Amino acid sequence: MLTLTSPFETPLHRLPAGLKLAALALASIGLMAMQSLWALGVAGVAVVCLYLAFGRGFAGYGLRLLRPLWPFVLIIALWHGWTGEFAAGGIIAGRLLLAVALANLVTMTTRLEDMMTLVERLARPLARFGLSPRVLAVAVALVVRFTPVLMDKAGQLMQAWRARSARRVNWRIVLPISLMALDEADHVAEAIRARGGLSGP
Amino acid sequence: MEKNVAYIALFAALIAVLGLVPQITLATGVPITAQSLGVMLCGTVLGARRGFLAVLLFVALVALGLPLLSGGRGGLGVFSSPTVGFVIGFPVAAFVAGLVVEKWRVGLGIASFAGAILGGVLVLYLFGITGMAVVLGKSWPAASLLVGAYIPGDLIKAGMAGFITQGLARLRPHAVLSRG
Amino acid sequence: MPNLSPLSDDPGLILRDASFALSGRVILSGLDLHLTERRIGIIGRNGSGKTTFLRLLAGLIAPSTGSVTVGGVDPAKDRKAMLGLLGILFQNPDHQIIFPTVGEELAFGLRQQGLDKAAALAKTRALLHAHGRAHWEAEPVTALSQGQRHFLCLLSVLAMGPRTILLDEPFAGLDLPTQARLTRSLADLPQRLITITHDPAALQGYDRVIWLEAGRLRADGRVDAVVPAFTAEMARLGEADADTDLAL
Ligand SMILES: Nc1ncnc2c1ncn2[C@@H]1O[C@H](COP(=O)(O)OP(=O)(O)OP(=O)(O)O)[C@@H](O)[C@H]1O
Ligand SMILES: [Mg+2]
Repeated sequence: MLTLTSPFETPLHRLPAGLKLAALALASIGLMAMQSLWALGVAGVAVVCLYLAFGRGFAGYGLRLLRPLWPFVLIIALWHGWTGEFAAGGIIAGRLLLAVALANLVTMTTRLEDMMTLVERLARPLARFGLSPRVLAVAVALVVRFTPVLMDKAGQLMQAWRARSARRVNWRIVLPISLMALDEADHVAEAIRARGGLSGP
Repeated sequence: MEKNVAYIALFAALIAVLGLVPQITLATGVPITAQSLGVMLCGTVLGARRGFLAVLLFVALVALGLPLLSGGRGGLGVFSSPTVGFVIGFPVAAFVAGLVVEKWRVGLGIASFAGAILGGVLVLYLFGITGMAVVLGKSWPAASLLVGAYIPGDLIKAGMAGFITQGLARLRPHAVLSRG
Repeated sequence: MPNLSPLSDDPGLILRDASFALSGRVILSGLDLHLTERRIGIIGRNGSGKTTFLRLLAGLIAPSTGSVTVGGVDPAKDRKAMLGLLGILFQNPDHQIIFPTVGEELAFGLRQQGLDKAAALAKTRALLHAHGRAHWEAEPVTALSQGQRHFLCLLSVLAMGPRTILLDEPFAGLDLPTQARLTRSLADLPQRLITITHDPAALQGYDRVIWLEAGRLRADGRVDAVVPAFTAEMARLGEADADTDLAL
């Protein structure tokens, strides 16, 4: 399914989403305030232990989620290696890795439904400005439903392209993909209309 | 109402798909993702307000944990990483692109190209570079050095946004809401 | 056909000189109909306007001229009032399914009718159970086959219990056992059914058949009057060079 929630069930999964988000906000602020490598090192060990406490599979999954950061860590290493400010570089890289790891921890242990319930609750005051939580929920569901559908159709389009062309798929494919999105939007609007539409009480 | 919601949601999905569709290769052989092209199209096709909401929905879903950013990234960690500025700038980029198309009543292709440059490149990089400077603890010029290599690709994408918006208007005139 | 009490308090579906044009092109014209029967079939060739006719009845499009009323209500205007009066099964299930999972798809219509979350969920479960599909609830819709998705669409219409159900080729793409089962469950429905079909045999037991040709009424009447003429005409066209007719 289309989500980053960890398949390994942990005790954190059962905590309320709002609590986890608040804790994450506090921890992120705390990280920004840390000025010494020592403090960051201690925090780092704590985070690693936290991940490992939920099993090696879980920790491995968490590590994989950090992979996109390697170019930035490399840049910091090169930069500070060049200038010789090793401690400053270590602090920047450490903060970055820890902040992302903590945020990922919340994402990995919070189901989309729980996040949505929280968002719907937080968005309730917005109803006054015409954004009903129900409309929001429908919009989210539509994205979850149609991203794989469009993906699939885009894949078919690219196959059809390759079947009839020796050249590689290029940016021209974006036009038919966008066209599909528009047509799909027309269909889904009609399907919602067929079941009463979204406006009104 | 349902039409607006459907268009906003499907374009949020479109941004995701364009980020996940791999290997769109430029004439120079450099592979790029079309994700920021998706952001530009939200503005140029849907207009400022709807485009903004579509991209905001996309960003919100990324925050909630869907792996919709190019390369399958997502979750709250995105907002602590050096590319945070780009992600936060996405909705604003779409808004500016849409605003240009709505207000500047020249040919749709030209207006979309201009909007995509102003919103999808200029504004987006302002946000992106600022975010990178903050997270990596570098000066603004240093941070802009790090991302400068991507600007030519994004200028090309702005050109594509112009062509594609024009093409969509020809094929589905009713659906280009920015000029509705 | 079960013996059901007539829908006496129901004024039925009324079209008065209704027509529909899309960007200048006339797709339906001169339709004057009063539909009160319990089982009504719509037949006609590809592109004759059957689907458009159904969308007009369902209020998904408004007539360009003339008027359409369902149970005394304008279906294009009052969408909420239509929910209990009329449901429609689209020709293509993928154009009808809105939600990522079976449970959400079924619950949506019920919540649209004013049920709260818990009640909608309970009713969804009961419905799936009654149709032997209890295990479908959490299933992603993409995991269902085309025929299963079609069935899901029918379930989501049935869940809302509308008085009239419009069916656009309900059997297309279904295997024979599923067709037989669906035919039986449709036959047992107390509601009025208005069914588009290409299969004359599916019209057995129907009260009335409407034959559309190029957006106009070609014939309208009892099954034994309209269907033989239709079958003969289709056979005649099949002999002739059919390709010329496929041109737009
Ligand atoms: N959105 C549209 N834009 C343009 N033309 C349309 C549109 N929808 C329908 N038409 C045209 O209206 C005519 C009737 O279409 P319709 O779908 O109602 O036919 P049908 O009888 O349901 O055909 P089939 O048996 O193939 O389902 C066709 O000639 C079609 O080309
Ligand atoms: Mg049809």
